[in-house]
Amino acid sequence: MRKITSTCGAALAALLLAVPLQASAEDRITRLADVPEDFEFYPLPPGEGVEEVYYGCIACHSLRTVTNGGYSRRVWDELLDWMVESQGMMDPEPDIREEMLDYLATYIGEDWEG
Amino acid sequence: MPKKERGLIELYHDDPERAEFLVFGRKAGPDRRGFLKGAGLASMGAVLGTTIPFSANMPAGLMPAALAETVNEFTFDAKHADMIVHNDRPVNIEAAAHLLDDDVTPFDKHFIRNNGTMPMPMSKADWRLKIDGEVNDELELSYDQLMNEFELVTFRAQLECGGNGRAGFNPLPRGNPWTIGAIGNAEWTGVRLSDILRRAGLKPSAVYTGHYSYDEHLSGDPDRPSISRGGPIDKMMDPHTIIAIKMNGEDIPIEHGYPARVVAPGWAGSVSQKWVTRIWVRDREHDGPGMTGLSYRMPRFPVAPDTEVPHEDMMVMGSMIVKSAITNPVAGAEVRAGAPFEIRGQAWAGDNHVVRMETSIDFGATWQTAELHAPHNRYSWQRWKQTIIPPQAGYYEVWSRATDNQGNSQPMVVPGWNPRGYLNNSCHRIHFTAV
Repeated sequence: MRKITSTCGAALAALLLAVPLQASAEDRITRLADVPEDFEFYPLPPGEGVEEVYYGCIACHSLRTVTNGGYSRRVWDELLDWMVESQGMMDPEPDIREEMLDYLATYIGEDWEG
Repeated sequence: MPKKERGLIELYHDDPERAEFLVFGRKAGPDRRGFLKGAGLASMGAVLGTTIPFSANMPAGLMPAALAETVNEFTFDAKHADMIVHNDRPVNIEAAAHLLDDDVTPFDKHFIRNNGTMPMPMSKADWRLKIDGEVNDELELSYDQLMNEFELVTFRAQLECGGNGRAGFNPLPRGNPWTIGAIGNAEWTGVRLSDILRRAGLKPSAVYTGHYSYDEHLSGDPDRPSISRGGPIDKMMDPHTIIAIKMNGEDIPIEHGYPARVVAPGWAGSVSQKWVTRIWVRDREHDGPGMTGLSYRMPRFPVAPDTEVPHEDMMVMGSMIVKSAITNPVAGAEVRAGAPFEIRGQAWAGDNHVVRMETSIDFGATWQTAELHAPHNRYSWQRWKQTIIPPQAGYYEVWSRATDNQGNSQPMVVPGWNPRGYLNNSCHRIHFTAV
C-alpha cells in the first residue's frame, strides 16, 4: 500500500474508499481538502478509530468542529475530558476513549490542515 | 457551504445498535433490549430534553421519535455566498475580508458565532427579560415595556469575536479558526442597560452581570446554559451597552438574537448575549460557562507558545484591541501597473478609537499614512482609504496598520500566543498582482 502511495495518489484514494479503516499513520490524509467527499465518515480522514470518533461526537455537534484544527495529543486529551466533564458528553468506556484519542492524535494532529 | 455530514437519522438507519452504543453507550443484550445506564441514559435524555421513564423497555437501536423530529437541517440562505462557514452545528460563520467593506454591516455579511443550538424564535409576546440578583427590585420586562417605557437609542457598533484572528496562532489553539471576518458593525437600536438597571436599583454589592438566553446547549440538556458570560458593572452602565431590539432598523434576525440581545460594543462578542432572557446582577465576577478556566481569558504575563498556563494565572479579557481590515482590493485581484487604484478598509479599537492609519505595499519597508474618517459615533468602526500606484508589474501585498488614541498599534507579526488564541491583531495582509 505504501508503494501505491508514492506512485499514484488517485489509486490510493480509491483504495481508501474501498477499505477506509485500513489507512495507516504513515499514509494518512493530512488535509481536509483530500478527504473523499463520499467517505462515509466525511469530513474525518480515514483511520483506525474513525467510527468511534464520528459516533462519539455527532450526537451534539458536527464533525467540522473536529476537523477545523489539528492539535497535539495533550490538547485532544484535555478536550475529551472537557467534553465529558462540562459539555454533557457520554463518558466513553476506557478502551473506546483510548481509541478515540489515538485516532485524534494520529490523524488530526498538529500537522493537520483543516 | 461544506458538504453535509451524515445525520444521526442516517446513522441509525444504517446500523442502529452500533450507533446507539457509540452515541449513547447502550449495548444491546441477547434479547435485543439494551439497558441505558448512567451517563448514557443521561445523554440520551439530554438530547431529548427529558428523562425516559421506560428506558428499560426501549428496544436497542430504536431511534427515539423525538430525535427524528429535532434533527433538522439548517440552511445558510440568509448569508452572502462568500461567507466562510466553519461549522454548521453549532453555527459559526465569518465574513471574507472584502465583505467588511460596508460602513454599516448588512445582515448577510455579519458573522455568526453560536455556542449552542440555533433556537426556534421565541415570540415577542412570550419573551421576557428578567433582572435579578443584587438589585432592590427584581424586574420582568415584556417586549412592549422595553419599547414603550424606555428611551430607545440607535448607533453603529463593532462586535468582534474574542477569537477573531485565532487561525494565525501557532500552535493553533482550539476553537473556531477565525481569520479576520468575525467582526461586524451593524446599526443597533435598543434600550440602555443602565436605564434598566437604574429602574431596578443597583445595590452597593453589584459588581458584575451574568447573562442568560433561551437557546439550548448542544447536548440538549435543559439545565446547561449554552454560554453565560457578562461584564463588570462599569461596562454594563456605559450608555453604549444596550438591550438591542433592532438590527439595521429591523427585527433582529434569529441568528443574531431575536427578539432581543445584549450589545456591549468593543468587548468580546460573547458578552453580548444573543436571545437574552435574564441579566443576573452579581456580587462577584460571574462564573457561568465561558467565564472560567481558559475561556475568554488571557495570561497575566506573556507565555511561550504551547505553555500550559495554570487557571489562576489567567484573567478575564476586557476591551478588544486595535485592528484594521483591508476590504479592497479583494485578495488576489489584478490591477494595472503604473495606474492609481484605491485601497480601503475599516479600522477599530475596542473601547478606544483609531487615530492613525498606515499602509505599506513593500512588505513594511515604507509606510504611507492613509485617509482616516472619524467614527460615525463612538464604537463604530472607521473607514480608511488610500490611492496607490503599483510602480511595475508583479506580486504585491497591502499591509495595513492602525494606531489607537492610547498609542497602541498593530504588530506586524502575530502577538503573544495564549492558550485559547484570543486577541490576534497582527497587520492584515492582502495580496494583489499588477499586470
